[in-house]
Amino acid sequence: MNRHTDTEVGTETTQVQRMLPAIVLQLMNYVLILLLALAIGALIIASSGKDPLTAYAALFHGAFGSRMAVANTLDRSTVMILAGLAAVFAFSTSVRNLGIEGQLYAGAFVAAWVGFGIQALPAPLHIALAFVLSAVAGAAWSLVPILLRTRWGVDEIVPSLMFNYIAIHFTAYLVAFPFKSDTTILPGTDPINATAKLPRLMRGSPLNVGFALALVLVFVVYWFLFRTKQGYELRMVGMNPRFAAYAGLPVKRSALMGMLLSGAMAGIGGASLILGFFGRFITQFSQGYGWDGIVISLLAKNNPIAVIPAALFYAGLANGSLEMQSATQVPITLVSTIKGVIMFLVTAQFFLRYLSKRYPQWA
Amino acid sequence: MLGITKQFPGVLANDDVDLIVQKGEIRAIVGENGAGKTTLMRILYGLEMADQGAIRVKGHTVTIPSARAAIALGIGMVHQHFRLVPSFTVAENVVLGMEPRQGMVYDEDKAKEEVQELSEQYGLTVDPDVRVMDVSVGEQQRVEILRALFRKADILILDEPTAVLTDSETHELFAILRRLAQKGLTILFISHKLREVLAISDNTTVMRDGRVVGTVKTSETTARELSEMIIGRETLESAQRDRSAIEPGEPVLELQDVSVYDVRGLLAVKSVSLEVHGGEILGVAGVEGNGQLELAEAITGLRPCVQGRIVLLGKDIQNLPVRQIREAGVAHIPADRHAMGMAVDALVWENLCATRYHEPGFSGRMALAMDRILSESDSLIEEFDVRTPTLQCPARNLSGGNMQKLVVARELGPGQARLVVAAQPTRGIDIAGTEAIRNMLMDYASRGAGVLLLSADLDEILAISDRVVVMYGGRVADIGRVDASTRDKIGRAMTGAEV
Repeated sequence: MNRHTDTEVGTETTQVQRMLPAIVLQLMNYVLILLLALAIGALIIASSGKDPLTAYAALFHGAFGSRMAVANTLDRSTVMILAGLAAVFAFSTSVRNLGIEGQLYAGAFVAAWVGFGIQALPAPLHIALAFVLSAVAGAAWSLVPILLRTRWGVDEIVPSLMFNYIAIHFTAYLVAFPFKSDTTILPGTDPINATAKLPRLMRGSPLNVGFALALVLVFVVYWFLFRTKQGYELRMVGMNPRFAAYAGLPVKRSALMGMLLSGAMAGIGGASLILGFFGRFITQFSQGYGWDGIVISLLAKNNPIAVIPAALFYAGLANGSLEMQSATQVPITLVSTIKGVIMFLVTAQFFLRYLSKRYPQWA
Repeated sequence: MLGITKQFPGVLANDDVDLIVQKGEIRAIVGENGAGKTTLMRILYGLEMADQGAIRVKGHTVTIPSARAAIALGIGMVHQHFRLVPSFTVAENVVLGMEPRQGMVYDEDKAKEEVQELSEQYGLTVDPDVRVMDVSVGEQQRVEILRALFRKADILILDEPTAVLTDSETHELFAILRRLAQKGLTILFISHKLREVLAISDNTTVMRDGRVVGTVKTSETTARELSEMIIGRETLESAQRDRSAIEPGEPVLELQDVSVYDVRGLLAVKSVSLEVHGGEILGVAGVEGNGQLELAEAITGLRPCVQGRIVLLGKDIQNLPVRQIREAGVAHIPADRHAMGMAVDALVWENLCATRYHEPGFSGRMALAMDRILSESDSLIEEFDVRTPTLQCPARNLSGGNMQKLVVARELGPGQARLVVAAQPTRGIDIAGTEAIRNMLMDYASRGAGVLLLSADLDEILAISDRVVVMYGGRVADIGRVDASTRDKIGRAMTGAEV
């Protein structure tokens, strides 16, 4: 078929124009999915005798209804963005890292340890050190599952999953015995020093510079994956390992690197919660953020930039559901139902197929 | 089909196409990659809707919004890539979606019986009980045809059915198609291979640039006339090797007692020794599955060589990493472009730079030099006539022939290779593309590189190689320099007979 005449490279505008319809199509797809999921949720609410509209109003108000609500949602999204990036790293290299939750714990514990264990360091250095070491800890926690794969061909799914339990229970042991703190009745470490605390961005809200860091990392990850040699290798290996091997790309090294970077990102995510929100390591601090990250990367189709809106959406649902529950007695678990429906529709590409048939010129 | 027009973004795929086919006819549709053959057939099978035009089936004007509607009208399609469930048996695949039932339950005996009956009626031998993953490609194709017949198809569309078949399987298929036509089925047959078109079809429709160039009675035409219609040029410079001018130089590649295992761990290449000289094209003929694939993969570093030496320009390269072998001057066109030659989800430029992105100039310590990569990619698709709307679209969007051109462009474009390992380099490619690729290989040889051409297509081997070996059962038989008797000798050696 005839080649376009306007295909010369460098004409960024025409490329953007060409990409735009595809993006619009995706957006329509997500809007339709969201509406259908909300409609199903509304049916469930109505069937329990409550008014769906008031419930949803409360949900929205809790998520984005005021300056404070927005700030809290942004804060909640911080760890979700980082966990989402962790999943993006793994899945673009087709490493199935189901251990993000555990890597989050490893990073969080090390961040707390650095936070209370080191004295008299200038704040920027202290924070940087805590983040770096937590990244190392997260990466280290992913090392065994990926080595099992690259050395002996053991599927990484189950080992990485099992390492979650080791991390969760081992850190629980640590704070119950060796690191037990007298300053809290909950099992937890000593509070971190003031120099390790992430500066808050807004009075009265836990929103802190961790959020800004997450945003910066989004763009760093994007640049890394799409504009560097190593990122290119990672993605090619992820898309077709046989092709990558044939072209001479370092297949095993890329799988290893994808996993370690994923673990590091998860470790930073754990640290952001400890240094920015809790101020110490406590057991059960993560409400399944590692799993949220996997879903977020799925919603974002493995695009680091799209992780931001996906994480904001998830954070909004989490925060909004709290207000919905207290204002209208519609339980938080309803939001899980809505999330489930969305997941289902996204993986089934429910509307996308219809839309690309209806508007073939956009597909 | 009358006045069919289909506009894709940027491309007029079908432009006022008329196609009128009689009952019981075998109609070949030929044309270059992207001439609109497949689009036309997809419209007929309900996979695309035409923007304009009418379709009449058995005298009634119909609209075909979906494949389901096409099947209801008695139209069946056998796709180029089979759509079977590998873990299901032959019978289960045939009845899938229309299972005979007893109450709520799948009636296995009845299914087997009906499939057996159907296969006897049309002379398509299959064993209903074996799993599809255990049968040959030719048999899988018969299962696909049976599927269509089971759905009462009397118009059968075959999209390049012979691309994956061996010579003898092709003969079998043709016998089947003739029987089906005799029983009143109408057969639409898309192909690139003119020899096959001439052998099987009653009439041939030629398409070019979305239009029908003409329809001729096959018995009254020649391959030459058809290819002129296809290309739209008066004369076709058929790539043919001028063997008088060849002066083979020093050996580029030497294999000494090389043995290689296949994926199942069986010895696929057994103590093979051969030499490829500079300036020479060595053809490796043979039915596929006799070790050619494993041989190519061992030379290019993708499969361990368990015994023997592989020497490139005097240096041992057996079991070196792929990148080192490539840097030593080996280019590799793999037989399976989908599975190995490219990442179909990656963008066109990402596929084009895969073997060179790490070289200085294309990237620094970390960042890719995007400007350089894109301009290089652009000149590659220009030079090799890869038709793609943009460098930034996934390779998946390219037609099969253009995918192959993309692979060839990447491998041969840089022009530095000292040894080209080309496995089925022109499979599924149109005439002009085939000529271009063969010329390119000859060009490489004339510049002093060695070319190892592995092909199941005898015509290809005879057209451009200087010397031929045949692989059979993992061993090679030397046929010697190509001359008039070569075809016969190859034919005998391919079945394992002494030359």
